[in-house]
Amino acid sequence: MDLALLSRVQHFPVRHHSPRTTAVLLKWLERVKPTVVLVEGPCDATGLVDVLCDAQTRPPVAILGYRTDGTPSSSLWPFAAYSPEYQALKWARANGARAEFIDIPVGVSLAVDRAPPGLGVESESESMEGSTPVPDEAVPLTEAFARSQGHRSFEEFWEAAFEAPDWSPEQFRPVLIAWADVVNAGPRSAYHRQRDAFMARKVLEVVASGVAPEKVAVVAGAAHTAAFLAGDVDPKEEAKLPPPGPCAVTVIPYSFPRLAEQLGYGAGNRAPHFYQKAHEANCDFRRATLEVLLDFAAHLRMRGFSASLSDVLEAYRLAVTLSDLREKSAPGLDELREATVATLCRGDATHVDSFLWKSVVGHEVGQVASRIGQNSLQAEFWREVGERRLPRTDSPETFSLRLNNPVEVGSSVFLHRLRVAGIPYASLSGTGSSRKGGEAEAGGYAALTRVREAWQAQWTPSTDVALVEKIVLGDSLEAVTTRVLQERLTQAKTTAQAADVLLESVITGCSQTVVQALKVCDAHAATDADLPSLASAARALSGLMAYGTSRAHSDVGDEAVASLGEKTFGRALLRVRDASACGPDAVAQVLDALRTLHEVALSQPRADKAGWFVEARGLMESHAVNPATSGLATGLLYLARELPEAEVALEVGRRLSQAVDPADAAAYLEGFLQVNALVLVKSRDVVKALDDFLVSVEPERFRQTLPVLRRALGSLGATERRYLMENVMGVRQLKDKGRAVKAVLEEKDKATLKDLSADLGKALDDLDDLL
Amino acid sequence: MSDQVDSVQLMPDIRLPAEAKYKNELDALAAHDDKPRPPGWALSPRAVEMYILGSPKPVGGVAITPKYVGDKGLIQVCIATLASDRALMLVGEPGTAKSWLSEHLSAAVSGTSALVVQGTAGTSEDHIKYSWNYALLLAQGPTPEALVPSPILRAMRTGKFARFEEVTRTSPEIQDSLISILSEKQVSVPELGEVTSAQRGFNLIATANTRDRGVNEMSAALKRRFNFVTVPVVEDLEQEIQIVTKREAELRTDYQVGVPPPEELSRVLLTLFHELRKGVTKDGKTKVRTPGAVLSTAEAISVLFNSSILAQQFGSGTVTSQELAASLVGAVVKEQEDDVKALREYMETVAKSRTGPWKELYTASKKLLRG
Repeated sequence: MDLALLSRVQHFPVRHHSPRTTAVLLKWLERVKPTVVLVEGPCDATGLVDVLCDAQTRPPVAILGYRTDGTPSSSLWPFAAYSPEYQALKWARANGARAEFIDIPVGVSLAVDRAPPGLGVESESESMEGSTPVPDEAVPLTEAFARSQGHRSFEEFWEAAFEAPDWSPEQFRPVLIAWADVVNAGPRSAYHRQRDAFMARKVLEVVASGVAPEKVAVVAGAAHTAAFLAGDVDPKEEAKLPPPGPCAVTVIPYSFPRLAEQLGYGAGNRAPHFYQKAHEANCDFRRATLEVLLDFAAHLRMRGFSASLSDVLEAYRLAVTLSDLREKSAPGLDELREATVATLCRGDATHVDSFLWKSVVGHEVGQVASRIGQNSLQAEFWREVGERRLPRTDSPETFSLRLNNPVEVGSSVFLHRLRVAGIPYASLSGTGSSRKGGEAEAGGYAALTRVREAWQAQWTPSTDVALVEKIVLGDSLEAVTTRVLQERLTQAKTTAQAADVLLESVITGCSQTVVQALKVCDAHAATDADLPSLASAARALSGLMAYGTSRAHSDVGDEAVASLGEKTFGRALLRVRDASACGPDAVAQVLDALRTLHEVALSQPRADKAGWFVEARGLMESHAVNPATSGLATGLLYLARELPEAEVALEVGRRLSQAVDPADAAAYLEGFLQVNALVLVKSRDVVKALDDFLVSVEPERFRQTLPVLRRALGSLGATERRYLMENVMGVRQLKDKGRAVKAVLEEKDKATLKDLSADLGKALDDLDDLL
Repeated sequence: MSDQVDSVQLMPDIRLPAEAKYKNELDALAAHDDKPRPPGWALSPRAVEMYILGSPKPVGGVAITPKYVGDKGLIQVCIATLASDRALMLVGEPGTAKSWLSEHLSAAVSGTSALVVQGTAGTSEDHIKYSWNYALLLAQGPTPEALVPSPILRAMRTGKFARFEEVTRTSPEIQDSLISILSEKQVSVPELGEVTSAQRGFNLIATANTRDRGVNEMSAALKRRFNFVTVPVVEDLEQEIQIVTKREAELRTDYQVGVPPPEELSRVLLTLFHELRKGVTKDGKTKVRTPGAVLSTAEAISVLFNSSILAQQFGSGTVTSQELAASLVGAVVKEQEDDVKALREYMETVAKSRTGPWKELYTASKKLLRG
């Protein structure tokens, strides 16, 4: 490798995403007038230069490199309009020069064994990172240097020393290279040295092809340039790079918020919007400050704060005075922030830091020329988003869909497909009603019953990354979803899992998987011995019969679902007895399943209601099953009016009688009270049986059964407790005390409560004892 | 000018104003200040910054001690504001050195910190503009001699900084009389038929504490005349220990009373203040109830100073946990019963389980907090 030749080539050191570098670089290119412009960036993306420079392409955009062998791994090389690399390519296009990328191919950089290959940001920042020698170190060299110069951060130092002053190319190049030399003084990572070698070879190949070295311009990170000029390149290093994996490259839109996420030397973009403004104003940072302040003020006014023009003027003046005081040539972000806090925000930094700061970051999303770069999934996504007027910015937006009109059902299907396919874009935030159900289940049974869906959507570059990666699964969203669901179906071990897939297929309108899922459900149901699984499948199918088929769009028809539902329910009934004979550990699941079956039996006309009642009665009478299931069955039957009150009292009395082991009795009670407790405690006879039981338990046994009893009675709410109390007092003929207790219960005023006589206090104590 | 000199001379030695106490530093800075000074300023903005934040190197053989320990940016915003036509409003919790800062800024820029109006509910427009010497007024009628100028008017006439402490304690109507002063920079005296315009170098530093906000909220019109700087509560324990130790030593010199408390005890005290303020212990493991009393840096200084006097006068001559506990209870437990509980709870849950001076503090406070 002819290193002397390498240093004869025209080098320009850059810091990525630096507007000043861009401005100086363009002046330099005008002067050097190269015929070949070589840019740091994956060399297999050279074909995409046309797309990047297309008039329709509007940065921020990013080159996306991803593996095509199914391994999820990808890397991003983002460009803003003010990125020197981007402007170098544009200059080359406009001036008839050849433009090429010279860095290692995507396949190699993806194959380099690195810390967990995070999506884009992490791997990108490293590949773009010119010269942070040890990025993991607590205080990197660059940071320490900035602080020693009296700056609070490296970013502030960079702005003051490099961005703000009006450099000429002659001054700027040596200064930046000298700076890179300082940073390079530490040990450089092997990876960077390997890339140095690769790029150097690429540059020399161009020279060897007959281009005069003086006409070749190399635009690369300052650290690389410094290494080239110092001749610190070892050709042998290149061989240490791993062989490339299978991969492809494309261009996707990018956004300012993502650009701002990348801190550190390489990216250094705490406020893309501010830099964009500076770039547009030819690196006049005073003007950019003023423009951003005007934006701020408008934003504040929109939010109902007062922000007058005189405040803006004062803020601007303060920012400029501060930068003078700090001997900077123009205000940077720190001055901007401090001036805004002191003037527009009246000393309150919370506004600036919580929401206002976002406006310096900006939320612009780039655009990629339509002629290339989009695969069919991306095309479908953007078409649907456009037609359905869904959010397309990189900031969260909420909206709700009414599922009674076909257009919005279509939107819902679209969003659910994205959810199932694992493409990050929208998440369901609930039904849009005021009911607070915590984390609502996005799909499944809950989705069937909704008439409204509230969504929150935000486009991020990872949306497009996922769209690009998922193309291996199919070329339309439906195909991808179908494929994902099919895989889940093959992995389904139980009827419930298969039924889940069935529901998801319906919600996402994937008719093909509906049919397959029905078959799998059927097959599983025949052999499935697990009651909870069968019950949940029965519920899913029943829900489908009730609400879902209108959305299924499948040709299997309602009948197939209904008959399978019937069959599954029947099969579940057959398992009831065996499943109920379980230990205390498994009983919770079984109880849930029994309640589900009860629910289905009552709500679904095709379900075998009579059969269920027979089974329930069997449970109630059986002493071989877990007593909790007997209790539950009793409660359910009573609730369904299958059991007269007298009989319930008798049954409960029998189950709680002294002959029965108190532990079993308590378990019975637990199951019993799980059903609508209000109805149960309203019955005087039932309460009497309860009371008798509690009074008769031996103290020693009582202590043993206490945990179960507490659990059983602890689930009662305030109203239920009151009814229970009233009935207990009725049973015990505690009428008078009862009245006093009632007075206490109804007394809201604490002061009066205190004044109540000691007699009532005693009544309260009695009450406590009883509870 | 003459009345300021008088006021300085009349001031008893117990506490010198900043400009007198740090005269040698200010003189040295002025002598070596080659940067341009805004009209009416005794020092350039850079030199003012150096005076406030201190200098690692002595200037002209005089060591410049830091007057304020904290964010450099904050001081720069203050100075930049004062050089503009806007007035400066320092806001923050009580005891965060707002008045201290305003005194030193005035002393550095104007050479005097004596032109002060203390805002109270009883502050009237007379205190802000002017009043009369009624004997003279009756004898001679309205004459310039009979006019008694307010500190603000005197500042305007001489081109100095005026200070307005606790603006929000004053009623809104009175506050608003500042608007014309700050925007037109003049005060008219209709009785004499004359208008006094401010000389170059005039500006106003006001303070307001955030706990009183809402008692007398400032009007939007007045707010617009100010740039606001929030003086934060010191977050860094080491920094606060440094501040408290230094200021307490100064107090001892000023009042010539007390003995130096051991460093260990200052650390215990500040740790306790930090934890009570944050409502959680240093290691983040134990929740602590926050008392209602203001636990400011100034309060910590006073507790430490107080215990050093106690030790000297009534104790063994060295400050122990005994004295610290006695002063501490008075400071934390100001008006509310709940604060007693909060402190007792803290002692029981946090101090008890720690070693060394914590243990002694716990024992000492236990007696005091009983009942």
